[in-house]
Amino acid sequence: MLRIEHLSCGYGGTPILQDISFHVKEGEKLCILGPNGCGKTTLLRALAGLLPSGGKIELTGSDLSALPVRKRAQKVALMSQFSPAAFDYTVYETVMLGRYAHQAKGLLTNESPADRQAVEDSLRLTGTWDLREHLVTRLSGGQLQRVFLARTFAQEPQIILLDEPTNHLDLRYQVELIESLKTWSALQGRCVVGVFHDMNLALSFADTILLLNQGQIQSYSKLEDFDLSLLDSLYNMDVRGHMISSLQRWI
Amino acid sequence: MKYYTKMILLLFAALAALLLGIGIGSVYVSPADILAIISNYFFETPLPETLPVSYPAMVLNMRLPRVFLAFLTGAALAMGGTVTQSILQNPLASPFGLGISAGAGLGAAIVITFGLTAAGLGAFLLPGVSLSFALATVFLVVFISSRLDKGVSNVTIILVGTVFSLFCNAVMNLLATSAPAYTARIQLWLSGSFSMKEWNAVWILALASILGLVFFLFYSRELDVMTFGEESAQAMGVDLVKLKRILLAAIAVLTGAAVAFVGIIGFVDLIAPHIVRRWFGASHKKVLPASALFGGTFLVLCDLAARTLLPAREIPIGSITALLGAPFFLYIFFAGRKNQ
Repeated sequence: MLRIEHLSCGYGGTPILQDISFHVKEGEKLCILGPNGCGKTTLLRALAGLLPSGGKIELTGSDLSALPVRKRAQKVALMSQFSPAAFDYTVYETVMLGRYAHQAKGLLTNESPADRQAVEDSLRLTGTWDLREHLVTRLSGGQLQRVFLARTFAQEPQIILLDEPTNHLDLRYQVELIESLKTWSALQGRCVVGVFHDMNLALSFADTILLLNQGQIQSYSKLEDFDLSLLDSLYNMDVRGHMISSLQRWI
Repeated sequence: MKYYTKMILLLFAALAALLLGIGIGSVYVSPADILAIISNYFFETPLPETLPVSYPAMVLNMRLPRVFLAFLTGAALAMGGTVTQSILQNPLASPFGLGISAGAGLGAAIVITFGLTAAGLGAFLLPGVSLSFALATVFLVVFISSRLDKGVSNVTIILVGTVFSLFCNAVMNLLATSAPAYTARIQLWLSGSFSMKEWNAVWILALASILGLVFFLFYSRELDVMTFGEESAQAMGVDLVKLKRILLAAIAVLTGAAVAFVGIIGFVDLIAPHIVRRWFGASHKKVLPASALFGGTFLVLCDLAARTLLPAREIPIGSITALLGAPFFLYIFFAGRKNQ
């Protein structure tokens, strides 16, 4: 479905990513892991078309980087880290904005029945239907992030890119968000490419793990084939031991 | 309350403010007389016999253009403020922060100090130069911002805008102090006034305001999307960098035109969008027409206060907008907070 070949990318002449190739199948959930500064966010931004990049980004055979912004947004959506809302939109209005790429431009455009249906489905899927009349400025961080997820669903993309969407959320909201995403990708047979800081969350969500180190792929494998000891050298600590010892305290 | 009910209420408030503004002054003209005079002008209906002969000319040539100019200026500044705040995702942003007022002020100061005149332009020379300077400043701000930062981010624009504003203000102050004979005139222009304006100014500003409203409404959904952040706007399908330049240019033309005719009138652009968003929500389809009406009404009432509060003297309109606006704004803001 999504095929990346020899992708390279950087800011103002400084290369950050080099020769990245991978491929995500329908319904697959890919997690990008790696230490700070390894290029995870840069990779997501390149996939979202926010950064110019070299190489190939293909979605179901068509070249994504050749598409105009609007057409691309019909296929790829990005859900960013939590950022507060500044203006008093209602939840419903906010989620409806996700339909932007599908609506005609201009003065007299109205919401179509398809738009309203997509918004309602997304609100229900994220459990925010009952909040639809609330103002986004009055929601808690967890509620607001679910609303933004609903907006991402309403965009009806073929891929959702996640940039640490669960930062600043408490555990329950993290799990809820992940569950909504799993349901969405299972229902629609569409793929998710995500960056998570929380290793537990990443391992519970991913089908495939892409490990980045200094802008290059260190390992790329199915979750079950993933060699956890790679993390130790990358983070320069005993990751597995740390996880197990904290788990033992629970037990 | 439904949106249309609120809009109709606002429309009535605007009409009432216009009638008050036209009626109250050195002599009082009743709303009925005002309507009779307007109707006489357009349809040649008879005037009431008790009406003094000098009234029609006074209403038509002095009070009407003044009040309309105040209304249109308020509308233009309020729309400019709304769009600036949305583009920069900053509820405290103002078009003046982009260098518009400082540029316009510098242009006016140059015309005044050097006593520039141009055959054929007459009274339009000063507004013309002032508008050109305002536009040039904003274009420079956007141009330099895009050279410094390919993505033309909001922080860059605000920073470069501030630097240019300070620079233009400094040059203007230099001019004003080096030519003491003109200091008072420059000061007067800077504090804004609606007096001694002609219908021509009204027509030009009316055209700019209507075109501005239609233009911004055309991009109302893009503006909605942009308030949630630049990166997410792009990911949702908005061609951000291009659109931002177009919208900033439109803001510059609209608010620059207003400032060029009447001087620098602050505060309307900042508070009108806030108050309107409290009543109408944030959707630009509703906020834009409502803030135009609100800003217009507010400035008509401020102008009324400016010329009637002190006997036989006019308070600078810029002081009035801040004097009335600041407490009113705080009231609205904190009254709204309490209800949360």
